[in-house]
Amino acid sequence: MNLFAISINHRTAPVELREAVYLKDDEIRSFINYAKENFLKEGLVISTCNRTEIFGIPANNELSHDKIQSLLLNFKPAQNITEQHFQNYISRDAVKHLLSVASGIDSLLVGDNQVFKQVKDSFQIAEESQFAGYIMHRVFDAAIRTGKRAITETGINEGAVTVSYAAVQLTEKIFSNLNKKSALVIGTGETGEIAAKHLAEKGIGNLAVTNRTQEKAEDLAQRLDAKVIPFAEFRDSINKYDIIISATSSPEILIRKSDIKNALRKRNNNPMILMDIALPRDIDPETKKIDYVFYHDLDSLNIIVEQNLSKRKAEIPKVEKIIEEELDNFWEWYNSLQAAPAIKDLRDLFEDIRNEEVEKNKNKFTAEDQEKLDIITKRIVNKILHHPTIELRKAGDSSTRPEEAMMKIGIIKELFGIGKKKNE
Amino acid sequence: MIEVIHTINILLPIFYLATLIAYYYDFIKQEKKLINVKRVFLFITLFLHIIYIILRIVAFDHPPITNVFEIFTILAVTISFSYFLVELVSDIRGTGPFIIILPLIFQLISSFFIQDLTEVKEVLRSNLLGIHVISALLGYSGFTISAVYGFLYLILYKDIKLNKFGLIFNRLPNLEVLERLSLYSAVIGFCALTITIIIGIIWLPVAFPKFSYLDPKLLGTFLVWLLYALGITSKVLGNWRGKRLVMLSISGFLIAIFSTILSNFLAQSFHSFY
Repeated sequence: MNLFAISINHRTAPVELREAVYLKDDEIRSFINYAKENFLKEGLVISTCNRTEIFGIPANNELSHDKIQSLLLNFKPAQNITEQHFQNYISRDAVKHLLSVASGIDSLLVGDNQVFKQVKDSFQIAEESQFAGYIMHRVFDAAIRTGKRAITETGINEGAVTVSYAAVQLTEKIFSNLNKKSALVIGTGETGEIAAKHLAEKGIGNLAVTNRTQEKAEDLAQRLDAKVIPFAEFRDSINKYDIIISATSSPEILIRKSDIKNALRKRNNNPMILMDIALPRDIDPETKKIDYVFYHDLDSLNIIVEQNLSKRKAEIPKVEKIIEEELDNFWEWYNSLQAAPAIKDLRDLFEDIRNEEVEKNKNKFTAEDQEKLDIITKRIVNKILHHPTIELRKAGDSSTRPEEAMMKIGIIKELFGIGKKKNE
Repeated sequence: MIEVIHTINILLPIFYLATLIAYYYDFIKQEKKLINVKRVFLFITLFLHIIYIILRIVAFDHPPITNVFEIFTILAVTISFSYFLVELVSDIRGTGPFIIILPLIFQLISSFFIQDLTEVKEVLRSNLLGIHVISALLGYSGFTISAVYGFLYLILYKDIKLNKFGLIFNRLPNLEVLERLSLYSAVIGFCALTITIIIGIIWLPVAFPKFSYLDPKLLGTFLVWLLYALGITSKVLGNWRGKRLVMLSISGFLIAIFSTILSNFLAQSFHSFY
């Protein structure tokens, strides 16, 4: 199979180089048109913050990985990117790589949920751009099936693997129903924003945000349907919140132990969760000593993240097994696609020769013997083709490596001049 | 029939042990494929246990509530049945190994010492006594399960506070659920104990004209009842919650056990029948 793939990813290139070749959705569409004009008849382009990958089936036989790399770099000129920053795959390895990407085991955060969605979106773009042909469709199906199976049959995407998500998951180990709880997110920078989004996704009952720059808080609040608390006043209302997540860049402590003690008194000892995901810390770590207060900082949340990553890594062999199964299924289909026409062509060739010779010589036989001649020659042809047919069928099943299958089919075609004969 | 009863008597601790192992294995491994296997084990064990109790009632012509070892087997079946219902209704996994160990212990002791009693004291043949004992057992099963959930709450509470994110953290339900399970079990136990006490008060003067209200068993039971009444009222009023509440539940359970041991084995009580 002449499926080529190039990949520049988190293992091969630093973030600034990955950024340089990152393609937005509209850029992917333009690139696909550009690729179709040049070498590729069908394929797929995936581009995320951690990887840009191009899969393609060439329009003719004169394609190499270098040419696809140049195609990308011509479209999106980027300095300092050399061929060392690319991983190259071909044929079965290219399909295998795509299945690994879709299943999340090739991600920077093993089992990352996002990548499966991104791969599906890329398929959608390829289809809309008429870049997905008969074979690529089957490759997509295999990749989507692999991604789904990895999620349902293994624990590859279980557990939080980011600090913000770990903070939210930890709250679920304390409170049973987040939609009856209220949360305050202090600081609406990247980390605070992600934490607020996770809380909103988990259905938090009442979400409030506060930030030194009020506009930023208002912007986030509007997007998440949250309430804004003025930064100068948030301390007065902390007793109203069951969960407080703080992620500011403040150099000094924002919430003192006495603040929490007072809040707890007002709350009648109703438990409070304090997640300090700022560095330096925003909440006095001494608060952890107060009963009914669950204080966690980056160190403790990182313990959860590390544990979950280890668990996910332990699931990789299970996912690899799924990938191999799906790869075998795909190749069985692909080999049969190659073998079946070869068998038909071979039999047609022999039948044509037989017919020609019978027609030429049948007048030398009596009318009674002409029928026998037909039967005998058919029998001879069948006997001659019996073994080659079986071998070609074997080449079409999953137990045969694609290279071996292609070699067998190629030899038969070459020896009997099947392709040439047809063309003539 | 006696042969069958003896055989099941030996089999029951083995079945409880197998169930415990299934629950423990699931707790450690948590394999999706094996998730229902443990329930099948528990169901079969419960089924066998209920057959055993019915056979005993038929064979010995009295419900198995007339001595401590008969009561232990009833206690084992009520605890495992209550847990079976909790698991089915709440779909809460991960607490099984901590509960199933109790029926195993009770049944093991019962299986070792239980006898084929056909003669029972006349005073123990009252109908009111039957209800009194059954409600008492239900009450103590409720308190036992409440204490186990309370204990699990304390372990998880400590683990979360100390950043220990191991098996307990990963497998147990969240703190609020544990607190709720502990509270609900305690409420059921409290209601059953209230019925037990009311029937006891009605039945006592009839059965024992010379009893004293200062009897250690009566005082112990009343103390336990008062403790749970206090805890439940505090919870309803919103004053007590979480750690403090589950500590109360565990204390109530310990006092209940202590009071039973004291009145049955150590002190002189009208309540000591054996």
